[in-house]
Amino acid sequence: MPDPLIPRLKQLIVETLRLEDVTPADIADSEPLLGGGLSLDSIDALELVVRLEKEFGIKIASSEEARSAMASVASLAAYVRERGDPSRLPS
Amino acid sequence: MADTAAPVRVTDCGCATPFGDAAATHAALLRGERALVPARVLGKEGGDPVPLALIPGRTLDEDAPPGWLPTVRRLAASMPEGDWGSPRRPVFVTGSNFGVGGLYALRRSGDLAFAAWGAPPTCTERLREDLGWGPDVSILSHACVSAHLGLLEASRAVESGLAEEALVLSFDFLSPFVAGGFHALKILNADFPAPYRERPSGAIGLGDGAAFAVLSRGRGEWVLEGQSLFNEMHHFTSNQPDASGFTECLGPVAAAARGRRIWFKGHGTGTLEAGRMEVRAAAQAFPGSPLVGWKGSLGHTLGSCGLVELAIAIESVKAGRTPGTIGDEAPAMGDNVAFSGFANGEFDGVVCASNAFGGAHAAFLLTHA
Repeated sequence: MPDPLIPRLKQLIVETLRLEDVTPADIADSEPLLGGGLSLDSIDALELVVRLEKEFGIKIASSEEARSAMASVASLAAYVRERGDPSRLPS
Repeated sequence: MADTAAPVRVTDCGCATPFGDAAATHAALLRGERALVPARVLGKEGGDPVPLALIPGRTLDEDAPPGWLPTVRRLAASMPEGDWGSPRRPVFVTGSNFGVGGLYALRRSGDLAFAAWGAPPTCTERLREDLGWGPDVSILSHACVSAHLGLLEASRAVESGLAEEALVLSFDFLSPFVAGGFHALKILNADFPAPYRERPSGAIGLGDGAAFAVLSRGRGEWVLEGQSLFNEMHHFTSNQPDASGFTECLGPVAAAARGRRIWFKGHGTGTLEAGRMEVRAAAQAFPGSPLVGWKGSLGHTLGSCGLVELAIAIESVKAGRTPGTIGDEAPAMGDNVAFSGFANGEFDGVVCASNAFGGAHAAFLLTHA
């Protein structure tokens, strides 16, 4: 069964970064977020990290950890599942 | 009349760090002391603990007038007297943040007193009045190479004969706004910085810093050569992956240093990618030259770092001993990194380099006349 967190993260990425001409459905689960087809950069990563921390109550410790978590939507979902506040995660 | 054939020299230089003046800072670095301590990133509003180095007695939170003003006044009192701010003795004020934390405090509190110091023009005008300078004061800001830019512009003023002497003042004092910004990027985090060390994740520290230098021609013990600035214009926060910006910047300095033995004072904030690039570029441009960085102790003093670290480099040459790179015990990024202090009497000069957001790079060669 697909993780409902994945579509929520895709929606959050599109909203937070105000991506034009990109819908949540356009983002593949395994697509690299940084340096991939979405062309997100470190400033985008900063905005996304701030939003993720507020939304899910996670604490990202370093820029390397953020980069690793954002390898793809699937890896980001796994990271948030592991460290997020359970009460804020979709089940 | 200045001798227009003579090189630009530093006739006087000083700094203020949490350890004190340049001599006290140099001595503390030689002892391997660290000024950075864990502090809440948002000051009285809390937040995560991060490594910060504040001038003793100062708090991270903004005051109006700012709590850093006494430090600048003390530093100014150690400058040579003169009609600073006159056409023949212009002043170049540099920094990356000036009183920007004041704007944040204004937004939160609504207290208009914060606005008076909250932007470069207002901040510099208040300082000009406070220190009794004339109107010939320029403001230069280019992130963390701001001090280098001030030194270059001051050198040009002196070199061209327009100025007899020029004063460069650089300062950056931390605030919740500044610390919070670096913390949002996650490069300011719970770890202490360990410049030029291969660790799983990078970390910087931030520090208060202020410094000045007086430049003239034909007088003074310290010669500035090969001043170089290069901006990659690659990205707000990252360098060209091939480190070409570092190489381009160091080229003219290496040409100026050809045939001389030098040691290298690097930027070394504690981030991993930029650290690796700098270590490699320094080794290529200056083979066999030991590389040191002092931000593992002082933290990154942002736009003032080039001038703060120039004052410490001068102190190192005066004392005959260069402090090593302070950090932890992780493996070095290169054989050229010096973690222990060393005697510098056999060297002919020191290259001082800084780097900045926006892919900006700056360096110069300092020699003893």
